[in-house]
Amino acid sequence: MPRSSASLTALLTAAAALLPAAPSPAAESDESNTRASYRFSEYDENALNGPVIGDPQRYRVLSQQLDVDTKLDGGAWGLKLDATHEVMSGSSPWFVEPDAKGRPVQVLSGATIRDHRSALSVALTQGPGTSANTTYTASYSAERDYRATAVGVEHSQPLDAATTLGYGGSFSHDLLRPTDAAIYGRIERATKNTASAFASLAWVLDRDSVLQAGVQLNLERGFLSDPYKLFAYGDQVLPEQRPGRRTEAAGLLRYRHSFARLDAALHLDYRYAQDSWGLTSHTLEASWYQSLGNGWRLVPSLRWYGQSQARFYAPFLIAPEGQRYYSGDYRLGTFGAFSTSINVRKAIGRWEFSLGAEHYHSAKGLALGGGGAAVPALVDFTRAWAGLDYGFD
Amino acid sequence: MRLSPVARLVGLVAFCAALGACATTPVQPWERAHLARWDMRWDPDSVQTAMKQHAYFSKEGSSGAIGAAGGGCGCN
Amino acid sequence: MEGCESTEELCSNSLYPCPSVLLRVRLLSERKMPLFRYAFSSMGSPCEIQIEADDESIARAAALKAQAEVARLDEKYSHYRDDNWLARLCASAGSGQAVELDEEAANLIDFAAALHAQSDGRFDITAGALTKLWDLQSGRVPTRADIDTARAHVGWHRVTWRRPFLSLPVTGMRIDLGGVVKEYAADRAAEICRNHGAQHGIVDLGGDLAVIGAHADGSAWLAGIKSPRNPQRVHASVELAHGGLATSGDYERVMIVDGKRYSHIVDPTSGYPVESFASVSVLADSCLVAGAASTLAMLFGVERGGRYLRELGLPYLTIDADGRAGGSRAI
Repeated sequence: MPRSSASLTALLTAAAALLPAAPSPAAESDESNTRASYRFSEYDENALNGPVIGDPQRYRVLSQQLDVDTKLDGGAWGLKLDATHEVMSGSSPWFVEPDAKGRPVQVLSGATIRDHRSALSVALTQGPGTSANTTYTASYSAERDYRATAVGVEHSQPLDAATTLGYGGSFSHDLLRPTDAAIYGRIERATKNTASAFASLAWVLDRDSVLQAGVQLNLERGFLSDPYKLFAYGDQVLPEQRPGRRTEAAGLLRYRHSFARLDAALHLDYRYAQDSWGLTSHTLEASWYQSLGNGWRLVPSLRWYGQSQARFYAPFLIAPEGQRYYSGDYRLGTFGAFSTSINVRKAIGRWEFSLGAEHYHSAKGLALGGGGAAVPALVDFTRAWAGLDYGFD
Repeated sequence: MRLSPVARLVGLVAFCAALGACATTPVQPWERAHLARWDMRWDPDSVQTAMKQHAYFSKEGSSGAIGAAGGGCGCN
Repeated sequence: MEGCESTEELCSNSLYPCPSVLLRVRLLSERKMPLFRYAFSSMGSPCEIQIEADDESIARAAALKAQAEVARLDEKYSHYRDDNWLARLCASAGSGQAVELDEEAANLIDFAAALHAQSDGRFDITAGALTKLWDLQSGRVPTRADIDTARAHVGWHRVTWRRPFLSLPVTGMRIDLGGVVKEYAADRAAEICRNHGAQHGIVDLGGDLAVIGAHADGSAWLAGIKSPRNPQRVHASVELAHGGLATSGDYERVMIVDGKRYSHIVDPTSGYPVESFASVSVLADSCLVAGAASTLAMLFGVERGGRYLRELGLPYLTIDADGRAGGSRAI
């Protein structure tokens, strides 16, 4: 069929809400009743440069993800099931110790870790595709030494023709049972609870752009340390100690601009977060969604992330002064990361193939403002994935 | 000047509300064909996003999108 | 069902043709499957649902459900009833109070608002007072003063519509959704028949057609478009395999005063009738869109309406005031 004229598109768009059975002109191929997606991905961390003790080969994760998205009860409910299975191997940063000149040397876990993680999540949406809808979520994730159970609810409600309010909350209960606890003096069993509340407002700015602003509050209570991480505390090496509570506030801006003439759209996301440990972070992400005709789509993305260190972060303490909290986990230090990725999709009838890769590089110099203590274990990784989607009636 | 996180967030929301209120010409339902496109969704590829967020979550001090958070993991 | 008086009012206040283009649907091909026909009267028009089915009970159940839906829509959107939301809206006009609409009514109002914008104000669900003024039985041309008085009660741009809240600014102003509801009802009826197991059939609401599904042998339904000046004659026949067909026209409703012809198609932006086609029929994937296209083309008048139809690209047929036919090659 030839491309609809502008006046016909206008007419069909206006009528769309009254024609539940008719395909709208803007409807895309993935509007099928049920969609199944499979993704295989490989995550590979680069070997550590610089002075290390132990195996510098770091983590490698192979994941498989199966996702089914369907409608129930004649479209009144949407059900999304997601199953993930991951196999992890490699060594991970253990602690940092000073060399004779006080320079940091990263110690990596000696034995190669081998573990796998299975996760299942369910999302049930009441009134999918309508402007006022509610989504209930539940998820469970299990590893040999870690179990996480989470539930959540999210509601979206239009306030007027141009504004939509969204809000919700979630709760997660995590159980840690570290391996070889007796040998390494790790905690044998610990729990942590996380509660989140969030709200957002979305505005239609004009016929080509939308903006969303959101805020989120996360409260964490319980055992928030990493049971495997140690810390060079004077001449002792002790399990790291983090506070038993953490409050994080975050703000998010999302902007979408359509370039329909180019068959493309620009996505810009910004997130700011600050927590009670003194850690602040900025995330900026830009993606370009380009349709190329014949079912081809190309999505290049750029992402920058920068954080400042937690108050109790230090690679080690040569002369401790009775600090209560200390952690040398690189994830709590000052650093920045830049990542580039590309995703290619090709639709053939009911099938859609996707292929993509991402490179992630982190460095102290990429942080906003710089400063902070040394972070020797910063990670660079490459992720590559391939996927297959199928739409049923 | 150092602002508390709450003050920053309030500022951010006020800025956005002002921006939203400035959108003076209302966009009519029949003018929303572009906004209804697949590539204009907040999250066009949620399966991909889940995987991506999981990688960032396990390597960064604070990350994640706004929305219902799942449980953590023992990732190193 | 509503009496004659209300039927007349429906016709004079809205653009859709009531008894005007009653299309005859007939079958050409041989069929093995029996055809069941259910005639009823609703929305001031004769209506009929035709279904081909092996089992009469399925056809009857589907037709009854569809008929109930048409009756529901007739009750809900009749502006001459005093017990529905339109009556409440009318009563609150000028008071500054808004009436809250449900999802369906809000969608219809959104649609009407879109048509108002896309027709540069010619399609106007508040135009009742003007159309009534030009009521053709009266045989006289209204005075400028009369027209201005009527126009004081007309104008969608003056209405406050903040979905789902609607309020009318002036006492005496009213909303008439007749221009879209019948086509919407035809689509709904066809949809309901499909949902109740009817696969082959057609819905006819006073000449607005919505296909349930092609004949059992896969062939299209055949619809006749009547001649506007001679309703006994079928002017053209159209094949309909899916979607809908709608016709707008001023059948038998032309007033001639002092040798000048006045149609009943009033342009609310000027207050005067438009010189337009005698009828416009459009085929589309839905009766609703077909009806909107034909109504807008009527309101645009011969020249701009013709351009509009060509630009839309939907199959159409026009008959001008002198009985000459025009249209796309597809009809």
